[in-house]
Amino acid sequence: MTATEDAEVRRRVDDLLRAVEPPAVPLEGIVRRGNGIRMRRAGAAAVGVGLAAIITVATLGLHPSHAPTMQGAVPSGPAAPGGVIASGTADGRAWKLAVQDIADPGYRCLPAITVNGTDADPVYPNPGNAGVVTLGSAFAGTGFGFMQLPASISRITVNGRLQVPAVIVATCGYRYYVAGFTYPLGRALQVTVGHPPAGWPSVFPITQPPPPGTTAQGDGLWINTYFVHGETASGVLASGYLSGQEWSIRVEFGPGGDCYAFNGNGYQMGSCGPVGTPDGAETIIALPLGFPEADTGGVGYAVQVSPATAHLRAVLSNGTSVLATPRVVDGRKYVALVVPDPLRLSRLTWLDSRGRVIATTTALPQYGYVQFQP
Amino acid sequence: MLLGGVEPVVTEPRDELAEAPDIIGSDDSEAFSAFALSRWPGLVRLAFGLTGDRWTAEDIAQTALARAYVSWRRVSRADDPDAYLRRILVNASNRRFRRRRVTEQHGDPPEVAVEGPADLVGERAALLAALRQLPPRQRAVIVLRFWDDLSDAQIAAALGCSRGTVRSQLSRALATLRDNPVFGAGDEP
Repeated sequence: MTATEDAEVRRRVDDLLRAVEPPAVPLEGIVRRGNGIRMRRAGAAAVGVGLAAIITVATLGLHPSHAPTMQGAVPSGPAAPGGVIASGTADGRAWKLAVQDIADPGYRCLPAITVNGTDADPVYPNPGNAGVVTLGSAFAGTGFGFMQLPASISRITVNGRLQVPAVIVATCGYRYYVAGFTYPLGRALQVTVGHPPAGWPSVFPITQPPPPGTTAQGDGLWINTYFVHGETASGVLASGYLSGQEWSIRVEFGPGGDCYAFNGNGYQMGSCGPVGTPDGAETIIALPLGFPEADTGGVGYAVQVSPATAHLRAVLSNGTSVLATPRVVDGRKYVALVVPDPLRLSRLTWLDSRGRVIATTTALPQYGYVQFQP
Repeated sequence: MLLGGVEPVVTEPRDELAEAPDIIGSDDSEAFSAFALSRWPGLVRLAFGLTGDRWTAEDIAQTALARAYVSWRRVSRADDPDAYLRRILVNASNRRFRRRRVTEQHGDPPEVAVEGPADLVGERAALLAALRQLPPRQRAVIVLRFWDDLSDAQIAAALGCSRGTVRSQLSRALATLRDNPVFGAGDEP
């Protein structure tokens, strides 16, 4: 390559990468991730010298007045049909934790932990992942958790007294060893592993969701330990221009669930929502978009829609409607759109391939997310 | 064929990373924060060049800084902390390619209505596509040479290979790019 060509490559690479506008440095996330690495190494060191540091993550806030007693994981040994790893009753309602395929029919299998068939959390072949979730008023006093174990560990102990067996589940061509459990919200949660393999702490650090009413939305969103890094799929769901300002809405589906980035002219906002299943509730997520230079804005919407959805019709506050077509990312359908100020989104209607209405709702957020069962 | 037989091959810095983690005090925390703030934009851009994906770029840039945080005492005392960071970033990027479980689906490029920026966006998209077609190591060599302006030795250190390998990878990558219409378009007939 000649010097001229060399300079041309340099110019173009420089132009390409300078066009990337990094968001603000996520210092808190970096430190949290670093502490996770440190904790993992500390756990490995402790096992190596025969020590076990006790790490207890306690929840803050009020204790529920009618906190449920600990619910055991029922199955032992191979899982029941349907990938069920645990089931029981809490807050007067039946619950079931299962490993199931959450991809739309016809797409590559996507294994995930679900609670009562929805609110999924992707699982990956290697053990080490653990997660907890709360489901809001449906189970006001109960949290749900799971831990993905190596084959050498047959059970875990929750809060020193509940023995939870690992259940073998074969899904999507893999065998998973998973222990599922519930725990009372408002109390400490401690999970211990007997005879952990090298690199595993005997007391497993689990980050709990904040108690209800003390933070922003979190119901249906799993909090994972991230001891296992799963790969993610991503794709742009929609893009366009608003008052001459470029915007795009992108989804990343992975260990964090369904996370969306709303980009507008170099500004970025991100938010994650509960992961739906083909038959479960869908999440409608909204984030305001602002374009300070143009003195304009809008609200970006993203919806993960059911397999039968061919279009999503959005009716705006001025009576106009927009027909949005889903895009498939990693075997799941999403729709995204932006409603410019001062208009508001009045109604969403799900349509099948023949134009028939599947479902419709006017319960739409201006910020945050709602879950909707079509 | 042995390329650069007398040149040392840089080994993986795993032993260093596997040592007991540093303990970070408040002074260290402030120093690390300043370090992270100053390096973040460049890291994300470099990672984008390596991966071609914005989300992945931000994720592995975070990973690189998180690992630097864990080993901060050693990183801060290193002769070239940026070299350490680059190495972690490249390793993280390579692991992504090796362990890719899910095929990414890229959306259509945004529609562009304005004439000037349209050319620019089109050019960037074309270059991005051309880079994506390169094998990961060749792409890394291109980005490290033409974005980070690194020497053969510095690139070899970042990639964990010999300088001879860097030169051969660079040569192949440039040959591939030369055949790409992105670069051929502006040539004289």
